[in-house]
Formats: sequence, structure tokens, C-alpha cells
Amino acid sequence: MADKVKLGMIQLCGCSGCHMSLLDLHEKLLDVLPNLEIVYGPIVADVKEIPEGIDVFLIEGGIRNEHDKHLTEEIREKSKIVVAWGTCAAYGGIPALGNLYSTKNLLNEIYATGSVDNPDEIPEENVPKLLDRVYPVSHIIKVDYTVPGCPPKPEHNASLIMALLEGKEPNILPTKILCDECPRKKKGIHPKELKRTFEGIPDKELCLYEQGYTCLGMATRAGCGAMCPSVNVPCRGCYGKTDAVLDQGAAVANAFASTGDAVLKLSDKVGLFYRFSMADALIPKKVEKKK
Amino acid sequence: MQYPASIRIVRIPCTGKFDITYALRAFQKGADGVMVVGCKPHECAFETGNFRAEERVKLTKEILDELGIGGDRIEMFFMSAAEATKFVEASNIMFEKINKLGPNPLKASQGK
Repeated sequence: MADKVKLGMIQLCGCSGCHMSLLDLHEKLLDVLPNLEIVYGPIVADVKEIPEGIDVFLIEGGIRNEHDKHLTEEIREKSKIVVAWGTCAAYGGIPALGNLYSTKNLLNEIYATGSVDNPDEIPEENVPKLLDRVYPVSHIIKVDYTVPGCPPKPEHNASLIMALLEGKEPNILPTKILCDECPRKKKGIHPKELKRTFEGIPDKELCLYEQGYTCLGMATRAGCGAMCPSVNVPCRGCYGKTDAVLDQGAAVANAFASTGDAVLKLSDKVGLFYRFSMADALIPKKVEKKK
Repeated sequence: MQYPASIRIVRIPCTGKFDITYALRAFQKGADGVMVVGCKPHECAFETGNFRAEERVKLTKEILDELGIGGDRIEMFFMSAAEATKFVEASNIMFEKINKLGPNPLKASQGK
């Protein structure tokens, strides 16, 4: 027992999808599991306190409230290696789109509409206070490794865990963009008009962006094997930015700007460009006008 | 002939090198406005550098509007490298405009 690697897992402002992708390892789990001892993981075991001396901690999800923040800090103190696991932990992910609204508006949207029994009563007692926005884990604590993906591919999880078990440096992420591994043919042109995903049926061979679909592959890290573009679905950018850029949304915008007026007609540009990386953007939230 | 002392010049080889990241970085660091100054239309040594920048500035305006910073804070100007008076004029126009808009709201929101 003593030789086993002590693993902790937690989901914060996420959906547990990354945990599910670990299960997607199927038979490979049999190679991984015997060497692990899951000492903390609310999704699989009911442990109230985070034990001391954890070897590897996988944090899924961003930091939304004070409790999340407290837990991350405690995890950092008690673990040797902390991994930001999945896009939410790395760049904020989908929940970080909430950064485009103030905390007050978000709470009102949920608790002050007619859909609840007691409208206008915003719960304040015994619930952790929300922070002003979603933060990626790396903004709160030092993170040793980042594995983006929504969810990360099971192979990435496997190679991460295997490398950490063997005490090696995990080196699993490609540094190139998604277009690099996308099989579609590119002509090097820019579309004149941009279409929504449901408009028309895209050609199966040609680049989706060049056909006018809002594919974000040109600013997204490779690694997923171009799963979405291979089945006619434009890339939404879930693997986050590459190491070469500061801001995924700006990198997308640079490319899309070349379509001229077409991009200016899109609604919710920030929501499209920063769909998975709002929390890690240069300007990570909508700035409220001061009163 | 002098331009406002609060202007910081960042030289790039051609406005075609202008990246939206630069503008967002400037606002993140607390700049109140950004002016992108390129060659006159059709006089770009690389043919389309200044037009590319113009497209990017237009999109940046919309992004800044959506982020609550305000698209008025970035502007594109066209002039030749020899037109010093035009540069001073443009800087003064931009300076006045930013003065009216007040400080960068991002900086103001972080300051409290």
C-alpha cells in the first residue's frame, strides 16, 4: 500500500465531465488503478477532510466562490503536484462566460424571476459568497501541470497519470494549432459571409472556416485529433490557447477580422471568441460602468 | 509642434503586424486609449498591411464595446511617415477625445 501514489480529485466550478473522461479509459484503467490510491474525491468517496501528503491532485473546474478558493489553497498546501485538469480549471471554460455579467445580475437571473417559489430571496446564509468572477486555478495558486480539454481526451489523462506514476515529466500536449491536425483542405481564403452552424450543410472535404462557419481551430491547441471538424462541426476552441499566444479570443479575432464586414455582423463576438477561455483572457470580465 | 506627453509610442514594422492582443494588452495594463497609425491607403509597402489593421481595429472596437471598455477608445489613422504635422494633429484629436471619455474603466474598477 505504501508504494501507491496518493491521488486526490475534486470538481469545483465544473461539471464532473473530466472525471467521466477518466472512466472512458475503459480497460486501460486496469493498468492505472492498481498503482493509485484515491484518498480524496467527493465524486467517488465520501471523505470530509482533505488528508495530508497527497502526491497528485487533479483539480477540475474554475474558482467561482470563496469555498472553491479556500479548497484550492488547502489543496496546494497538502499536495506535491497540482494539475489544472480540464479547460475550466485551466482557462475558465463555459462557466466563465458568466464573467460577462455582474454577480448581482447572475443571482437575480436565477433567484428573482418568477420561476422560483420565493422570488427576490437570494440565499445568503450558509452558502459561500460568490467571487466577482470565475478564476482559473492558476490565478489563485501555483499549478504544476495543465491539461486542457472539455473534457481532456482519455489518452491525455492516461499519459498524464502514467508519466506522474513513473515520476517522469508529463509532456503530452502538442504546441501546434488544431488546423495542423485537421484533415480538411484549405485554400487560404477568407469567407465573405459567416454562417451559423445550423445553416446549410457543410462540404465534407473543405475547411469549415473557409466555407463560412465560425470554426476556431486557428487559435486552438491541437491534441483532440480534430474530433469536431471531422464530423462537420466547427471547432469551438475547447483546448484553449496555444503557448505562443496570450489570449485565445484575440487570436481568433485577428483571423476573423479578415472577413471584413461579415464578422462585424455577428452577435455576441466575445462569447464566440472566448467561449472556453474568458477567465484567462487579458480582460477577463465585462467592466461595469462605475456609478 | 509637439504631441501630448502622455502618448507612448510602440513601433511595429507595419500596421499589418498590429495584433488585437496588443490593443487588449494595452487596455489591461491601464492605457486609456490606443491609436493605430498606418500608411495612407494604397501606399502600404506590403500592399494590404494598413487595410488589414483597419479591419482589426474595427473588430477591436466591437470587442471593447462588448467588454464594457468602449470602442471609442481605439482609433485608426492614416498618414505618411513624413507628415509630422498630420501626426501631431491626429494625436491631439485622440488626446482630446480620450480626455473627454475619462480614464480606462478597467483601471477604475480595479482601483477601488
